[in-house]
Order: sequence, then structure tokens, then C-alpha cells
Amino acid sequence: MALQTDTPPLLYAEDPEWADVVPVPQYENVNPLAPIFYTAEYKDATDYFRAVVKAGEMSPRVLALTEKIIKMNPAHYTAWQYRYKTLLATGASFEDELRLMDVFCIKFLKTYQVWHHRRLLVTHLVPAPPSSPLHLVQLQEELDFIARCLNVDTKNYHTWSYRQWLLAYFNADALWRGETKWVERMLAEDVRNNSAWHHRFFVVFGSGVRADEEDREGVVRREVAYTKQKLSLAPNNASAWNYLRGVLDHNRVPYSSLTSFVQPYTVPRAEDAEAEDVLDLEDPLPSKGAELPCVGAIEFLADVYEQEGSGEGVRKATELWKSLANEYDTIRKKYWEYRIREALAGQTS
Amino acid sequence: MAESPEPLPKLSRNAHALHCIRCLSGLPSSQTEMDSSRLALVFYCLGSLDLLGVLESKSTDADRESWKEWIWQQHASGKYGAGFRPSPFMTGAGSQSAEYSEYDTPHLIMTYTALLSLSILRDDFARLHRQGLLTFLRSCQREDGSFCSYPNSTESDLRSVYCAFAISSMLDDWSGIDVPRALSFISKCRTYEGGYGQEPYAEAQGGTTYCALAAIHLALSAPHSTSLSLSGLTQAQRRQTIRWLVHNQESLGGFRGRTEKDPDACYCFWCGASLQILDVKGLVDTGPLASFLAKCQFKFGGIAKAPGEHSDPFHTYLSLAALGIYLPEDPEESWKFEALDPSLNARLETAQWAREKIPSRSLGH
Repeated sequence: MALQTDTPPLLYAEDPEWADVVPVPQYENVNPLAPIFYTAEYKDATDYFRAVVKAGEMSPRVLALTEKIIKMNPAHYTAWQYRYKTLLATGASFEDELRLMDVFCIKFLKTYQVWHHRRLLVTHLVPAPPSSPLHLVQLQEELDFIARCLNVDTKNYHTWSYRQWLLAYFNADALWRGETKWVERMLAEDVRNNSAWHHRFFVVFGSGVRADEEDREGVVRREVAYTKQKLSLAPNNASAWNYLRGVLDHNRVPYSSLTSFVQPYTVPRAEDAEAEDVLDLEDPLPSKGAELPCVGAIEFLADVYEQEGSGEGVRKATELWKSLANEYDTIRKKYWEYRIREALAGQTS
Repeated sequence: MAESPEPLPKLSRNAHALHCIRCLSGLPSSQTEMDSSRLALVFYCLGSLDLLGVLESKSTDADRESWKEWIWQQHASGKYGAGFRPSPFMTGAGSQSAEYSEYDTPHLIMTYTALLSLSILRDDFARLHRQGLLTFLRSCQREDGSFCSYPNSTESDLRSVYCAFAISSMLDDWSGIDVPRALSFISKCRTYEGGYGQEPYAEAQGGTTYCALAAIHLALSAPHSTSLSLSGLTQAQRRQTIRWLVHNQESLGGFRGRTEKDPDACYCFWCGASLQILDVKGLVDTGPLASFLAKCQFKFGGIAKAPGEHSDPFHTYLSLAALGIYLPEDPEESWKFEALDPSLNARLETAQWAREKIPSRSLGH
């Protein structure tokens, strides 16, 4: 897409500053496949880019040239690659480059290269692990910047992976400290944001144990309670069910420990639900507007029964799977029938 | 129980073929971002024509010869080995020397798509620099077992890992890569949901899950797998992955790439092919899948990522490839496809051609 540039559309071919360079047009045979009908501006800029690369020139004007090409084609990985080399060779300010990238990252949020370039810059600016308070400030600014990007596009894959990389790569306690609270705010805004749930798992379980979280049983209790709370507000949320399963699997906690929580979610709302509105902090009931029964809960309870391992358990699980196959989750009918077959086969073998 | 009330509309095969032919003949400047991945776009176009069974009727012998010629012009050798460049976007006129320069090297993902494209065109691969290709794979593998898409890049993820495995499998020669190390990288990308993220710590995603499962499958079906005592997923992991994949089919039939996101035509292939690789393709409800893809058809040809969006060769190819695995029951004529090789991602006959002609033994060694 031809994007607006800040400079007037002066072609390099007409620019006296570039008169010393002989442009190198792109090689293309007589019958090119899927040729792109470039704009005159892009063709001109890349003709000069091929020329400077050929000559090995690394200078401030090459930084301007690569910036211009990247604005027209942020996926031009060679322009990025050569730009990085030129930054190093010219001793350019990496801080300035990072501020330029603040603009680019938001503009080209979905491009791989823009995020990769950022990793290179930050890796160059800050040693791992960070060795001074100033470094921590810089990294904290990165986290703030990422948070701003995620406000623009809350599920952007590159942005989230960049945050995960940053935390894991620099691995400083000061950076991890605010992470659970921050991701809680993301989930408060959208409880179905799976990227945020994934990030929470990464922070709490996927990235090692930090000093203030050594009581692992306490951490598991906290996470289970948190997820139950979120499920009570919006039971039909596959992200939260996956998180709950993830926490239990990772810590080898049996699913049956949640039977009493899950049960009220597996049945249609009772007529007299209003009357018995008892507040149970341990096992919060589904919120008033929630659509019941909930597929994720039925599936969970069936897993509890199957894990009992008895014929009776499999019979009860089968009943639930049948209700999913025939009534509540018919798109996965074949899957639920497969679960029944697998469970029965497990019984006889 | 909920029978789809609407009958399945026709698949506009001819319009989709024409969309691809149009893209092969030229792209508007709005597609400038494809400059550094043109070969992939070429593969999606040729692959679509191949799946639709119209490659020969929609092109002349001379067309196909010149297409091959253009692809071979991207084949280059140099200090990092041999492979294919994305396009001549960094190749200067008059600099057609035998060796590529530092900033015009082959690209791993493009090399994979070039080998498949040439197989679609039934090339004899007489010009393929096989030893150079093995060297190129070695230059792209990193310390952690992952691959970058071109030498000296620090950007690496599961897509490049998959392409390195697919190339080794087509060559029937795995000496270009350290398989156990690469498999250990793949296992680090697995998440608590049962899918795989693009890199360690990243969220499970349909496309990268396909890359992981297809790569593992290719490595385990190679002759070396017993001597290296490679192992695939545990039973528990396989169950969890199947669960995650089938849950990505949303109630209207399309697949999503991540939990709680909207469906997108390309994930019908990525998730669907993953399920076939895990031997459970019978678990997918094919009727609603076809209905979803029918709605993604663009009125002027091609298939889009979602209903109401514009089409492109990537989504067109992957939608047709999904249909190569998941035909609706009793398909009307326009919905019939030949079978697909899910782990190489090509029509069965094309994959067989690749496996016959690309290995060095095909040279009579």
C-alpha cells in the first residue's frame, strides 16, 4: 500500500545529493511471474537501494533511503537488515531509532520485521540481565509502549510475543513484578482475550518461579479462585476453561477437586434460583444473565467422571457427552461420539 | 441435529482459477508488500490451479515453460549454499553472476514453495543443486535448533522449522539438519492449551501448530527415526492437541486460529490438516465447514479470509486445500477435489512427483 510520506515525492533520480550514485534497476526476465506494478517512487527508491548495497555504502543518507522504502513496503526484510547494519556502522543513536520505531510499530503492527527490528535495538541498548537502574527504566518504558500498542490492537500476535520475549530474555524481577496486575487489567477489559489468558499462564507458570511466589500451592489456589470468579461472570468462555485446565494439568491437581464448583454450570438454571442466592466465595455460582447449561462445564464434569476410571464414571461421562453431541455442542458431535468410543475402549482393555 | 437449512451454493471454480491466473500475470502496486515473498504467492496461485485440476486447461505449454524458467532464475548458489530467492527484488540487472551476494541470498520458506511449485509444473529438477541445498539448511539452523529464513538472520520461528523439515523430506536426505535439536525447539513452543506458538512462550496458534505437527510427522516417518530414537507426542499430549483443534471449529463451521477469535478460512486448512496428520480427520463436521468456505467466496473470484472480505491467493489456496481433505458429504460436482498430502501441503500426485524427482537418488546415484 502506498503510504503517505513526510517528504515531498522527489525522486532520487532527480536529487542532486544522489547524483554520484548509478541506480541499479531490478533484474526481471521477459516473462516474469506475478510481477508487481510498482509505483514510480518505489521503483526509484529500490533502484538506489540496490546500488548502495552493491557499493556497500553505509551512511546517514542510507538510513533515510531505507526509512523511505520501509514506509512503502514494511515487509522488505533486506531494507530492515541493511538499515540495522548501517545504524551500527554509522554510530547512529539507537534511542532515536527506537522512538522512530514507536511510530512504525503502531503503523505496521502486523508486520514481522518491525517487531524483529525492535528486538535487535533493545538487545543492543540493554544487556541481559540489565545491569543498571537506567536499563530497568528503559525496559519499563518498553513494557509501557507494548501496553499502548495492545490498546490499539488487543490481540496482536507480534506484540504479545514481543512482550513475552522481552520479559523472558531480560528476566529481571523488577519487570515481572507488575505483570500479573497488568494482565488482570487486560482481562478486566475483555475476559475473552485469549492472548491475555495465555500471557497470565506464561507469567505465573511458564517462566520459572520468582522469589515472592514460592508457595506454589498458594499460587495454584489463587489462580483457581481467580478463574472461577471469571467463569462465574461469563461461563461460556473457552479461554477461561482452557486456563483452568492448564493450571490443573501443570500442577497435577485432579479435576475432581472442582466438581462442586462445576456442577451448577452443567444444568439449566433452576426456577427458584433467585430464592437460594447464597454467596459462596469458594464456589461462585453462575451470574444471573449467564447462558446455562455451559458446554465448557459439561465437558469438564465429563472429564471428572471419566477420570474416576470406574464403569459408573464412564456411564455418567457418556451421558454428558451424549448431551453435548445431540443438544448443546452439535458442531462437535463426531468428537463427542469419539470420546464415548475411546472411553468405552479404555474400559474393556 | 441442526440441519443446515440452506443448500450449499456452487463453488465458483472457474472464477477462483481466473483470480489466480490474474495474479500470476501481474499485481497492482497495492501488493508491493509481496515483493519479498513473491514465490510464495506464485505457489498459492499454481497450487490453486493444481487443486482445481485446471493447470493445463488454463495455460499453454509455453506459459508453463516460462513459469518454470522464472522460478529457476530465483535458484542461486553461494557461500551459504543453494536455494531459491523470493523474487529478483534484490537482484540487479546485469549482475546475473553465478554467485549471489550477501543481501540477495536464498530464503528457506521460499525454497520450500519453489520446490512445490516446480513439482506442480512437473519439472525434472535436473538443475537443482542438491548438495548446496543441504549446505543452505545447515547455514539456517540456529543454536537452539530453530531455523531462520535466511543466513545470519536472527529471526526464527516454527514456520522456517517446518520448511526445513519439508525440504529434507522431499530430498529424502536429513543430513542438512540436526533433527533432535530441532524437535526440542518444537517442543518448547507447545503451550498449556495443547497447540503450539510461533516461538517459545508464545500463544497457541493454528498455523504454527500445523507447522509443528507436520514437522514432527515428517521426521518420524523418515527412515532415520528409529536410529535416532525420536519420539512424537505422548498419548496425553495427542489427546489434548486433538481437543484444542476440534474446539477451534466454531458453531457456524469455520475454524479459528486461536481460542475465542473469529474464524478465518486459512485455519480450515491449518487446523483441519493437523487433525488429519493426527489420524482423526473423521472428527470434523464437513458440511458446515464447506458452508463457511462457500460464504468466504469473493464475488469477483478467489476466496477471502472471512465472509465479506476481499480474496487473495493465500486464502484461496488454503481453502481449496482444506476441501482436498474435507469434502462435504455427497458433494455436488463443483465441490469435488482430489486428495491432498497434508504434511507436504500439496495434491497427492504432486507430492508424489516431488518425492520421486527431488531426492538425489533420482539422478541415478
